[in-house]
Amino acid sequence: MDESKVKKILVVDDEPIIRIGCERILEESGYHVELAENGLVGLEKVQAGSFDLVVIDLMMPEMGGLALLEEIQKIDDKLICIVITGYATIETAVDAVKKGAYDYLPKPFTPDEFRAKIARGLERRRLLLEAEQLRHERDMNLLECSNEKSRTLTILNCLSEGLIATNKKGQIALINPAASKMLHLRTGHIVGKKVTGLLGYPELEKNIIEMIKKTTGKSTLKKMEIETTDGRTVQPNITAILDERDETLGTVTVLIDISEEKKIEKMKSEFVRLVSHELKAPIGAIQGYLNLILDDVIGGDKEKERDILQKTRDKTESLIELIGDLLDLSRTERKLTEREMRMVDVASIIVENVEFYRNEANEKNISLIMREDSELPPVRGNYEELSRAFANLISNAIKYTLHGGRVEIDVTKTKAHVVIAVKDNGIGMSEEDLSRIFTEFFRGKNAVSKKISGTGLGLAIANRIVEDHNGYIEVKSKLNQGSIFTVVLPVMKQQA
Amino acid sequence: MEAKERILIADDDPSYIEINKTILEANGYQVEEAYTSSEALEKLRAEEYDLLILDLMMEEKDAGFTVAYAVREDERLKSLPILMLSSAEKQTGFSFQMDRDKEWMKIDDFAAKPLKPAELIQRVQKLLGAMQDG
Repeated sequence: MDESKVKKILVVDDEPIIRIGCERILEESGYHVELAENGLVGLEKVQAGSFDLVVIDLMMPEMGGLALLEEIQKIDDKLICIVITGYATIETAVDAVKKGAYDYLPKPFTPDEFRAKIARGLERRRLLLEAEQLRHERDMNLLECSNEKSRTLTILNCLSEGLIATNKKGQIALINPAASKMLHLRTGHIVGKKVTGLLGYPELEKNIIEMIKKTTGKSTLKKMEIETTDGRTVQPNITAILDERDETLGTVTVLIDISEEKKIEKMKSEFVRLVSHELKAPIGAIQGYLNLILDDVIGGDKEKERDILQKTRDKTESLIELIGDLLDLSRTERKLTEREMRMVDVASIIVENVEFYRNEANEKNISLIMREDSELPPVRGNYEELSRAFANLISNAIKYTLHGGRVEIDVTKTKAHVVIAVKDNGIGMSEEDLSRIFTEFFRGKNAVSKKISGTGLGLAIANRIVEDHNGYIEVKSKLNQGSIFTVVLPVMKQQA
Repeated sequence: MEAKERILIADDDPSYIEINKTILEANGYQVEEAYTSSEALEKLRAEEYDLLILDLMMEEKDAGFTVAYAVREDERLKSLPILMLSSAEKQTGFSFQMDRDKEWMKIDDFAAKPLKPAELIQRVQKLLGAMQDG
């Protein structure tokens, strides 16, 4: 039998015969038995050991049975006490039971009677312990519930979205710090108050109340936007809290700060507006030129007509160039991980582009020179994109350098970088223009540059590509003296 | 053709200047060009013109208005007729209506670019005729 399940019984009696008799009967029944010859010894044993049941003789010297009974109750009120007495009277027995004894047994008793009383006492003990266990478990559950509640609150308090819950009367039941912060409210003072006139945003308050009153089609109310006093845009999504019969218990409103999205949206529409204008201007010019011929403005002047058609063709070419640049620009918006990144030899990209633009340079009698350090380390990047970036810089340099000028490209290395400087002695630009050259569609405005065609996207594209490769472009320029565009790209780390 | 009426075209896009200049010259007008709003104001203050054809979007998106205001505030220039042109109308959602917007726009006529040759001439004639009548 499992030791821990063996019931432990203490017999306290001053009569050795009874003690031994009891011991024998109980041990035969498989209990663990200990004996005590008087109340004091009995008490010590109760204090020391964990008994399930104590058999107490009421009439004992030193410490009487009733006194021992009282002491035991103080130690463990679930310890079963059965009193035995040779001078049994109903009064003493009732007295003992009043003082907490479970039952009494008058002497003399038969072993069967004794065993029956013990068995019932132990059953009682088992029930008491079980009840205790259940009570303990219930207490633990309650504790867990309150822990769970505080955990939920902690989560709500940490949410970056604002959260406001109301009951069906429209009173605030819960508001998290993010919501208070977004709406600039003081949390402590508003729980339990009605939302109307409280939140400072009448439309939001109205919509919450309407959501409570709504009886059909209770879905989440989105689409609403509120401008907070600090200029941010907050989107409140109001949802009704329904019980199982679809009755409204209240509402929960989640406040989402959509300021960033708004900003991006605005930038996007601004960009689309710019693009439309940039696309429309050359098409309008083409239309205008064609009108000159078709509406007979130039009166059959063949030479003039040819000149106009040539200009029309130039415009269509610049349109195609613009559309190509726009596609490049949108390509740079893709995530870096979607691009193929390899070990790239920058010098070979430059050599290719220098050869490509050689003719253009020769046409303007511009000397195009490239110098490179020996043993240039590779960079990690996308070959085509980097090539596009350098093509833009080199063609710009040629474009904005006057007849007979110079364009020099130096590729050098430092410990951690490859540095590519594209230097020209061209028309340069003012400091004011310099600050805006990487802005989409910005084009330097001066007497010379006005006559040079361009989309205003080349540098924006080059800059985005270089930044996507964890590098940067530095520009130095002086009006009528020339410009230096310096591209700095990090060297690819050698794998050990 | 009698004494040629002088028209100043202010536009930052050389193509539009060329197109409109070709049309106007073919119809007997004398045309000067200005590529920025400041260049336009300089020329207006220095010389006599009978009409200003003004692009709305030059350096800044509404530089044309700046020029128009400056013209109206100038004692000598304030009655100079202005035909404002823009290709911005549709993209910006601006919808100009002369009878409604004339007061604050300080211009006499407004048209979207590009204007067909016949329409340009018609508008120019109308503005110049109104000047002579008034």
